[in-house]
Amino acid sequence: MSIQAEVGQSLGGFTATFTRESLARYAGASGDFNPIHYNDAAATALGLPGVIAHGMLTMGTALRVVTDWAGDPARVLSYYVRFTKPVVVPASGGVEVRFSATVTAISDQVATISIEATSAEVKVLGSATAEVRLD
Amino acid sequence: MPISEEHVGRSYPATAPYEVSRAKIAEFARALSDPDNPAYAGLEPVAPPTFAVVLASAAWDAMFADPELELSLSRTVHADQRFTWNRPLRAGDAVQAQLKIEKVRARGATAIITISVLLSTTDGEALCTATSTLMHTNVEAA
Repeated sequence: MSIQAEVGQSLGGFTATFTRESLARYAGASGDFNPIHYNDAAATALGLPGVIAHGMLTMGTALRVVTDWAGDPARVLSYYVRFTKPVVVPASGGVEVRFSATVTAISDQVATISIEATSAEVKVLGSATAEVRLD
Repeated sequence: MPISEEHVGRSYPATAPYEVSRAKIAEFARALSDPDNPAYAGLEPVAPPTFAVVLASAAWDAMFADPELELSLSRTVHADQRFTWNRPLRAGDAVQAQLKIEKVRARGATAIITISVLLSTTDGEALCTATSTLMHTNVEAA
């Protein structure tokens, strides 16, 4: 079963809220226990404003815009991001990250999709691009 | 001597086989706030695509443990990440990951290192390549 796409098409989007609990869950699930993701002192010692989200948490969450649209995650052929700006996660409450995506090219039944991830209107991922098989 | 261009091409033994489990897939999907995708549930789930990082980062350990390179994870910034998949990882796959140093550019005290990790089943089926650019600051500069 093929899916339909056209260049310029918006794939929608969603807003995720990252909390310290999100980071603890992702640390456990991924095995990445770098203390900059749970310990403010460790983060500030490296010059960060405070605990930051795992870049891979942002990258993985962003791909949901694509997999929610494509249905079957097996359609995703490739995925690239640059980690441009750390997402600082406060000890109480959380930080919102907004995700959206647009089809930028289609060739040989493969759609190239550009993904936007912003927090407080600042881009947190650069050049985020996924390729999705349409047929 | 710290990491330099002469280390390009170096690879490390593959990691011990890791068996992808339904429980780990469910845990990872939940950590991505994506527990409701039916592909990640049921008796024969696939893993969320970026689950590959679990295997890839395990392969990083061998490089960081290489005393010749003088690397430290605490002085490393993950600059970018690329995945290419032949197929999704599935529950029941026994997966090994092998790291290769693809490119090194030294700029003063900073080394920009490109590594690739090939994920394969223990039967030799290539599943995914995870390519990362790391920016490493040498200890002398700290």
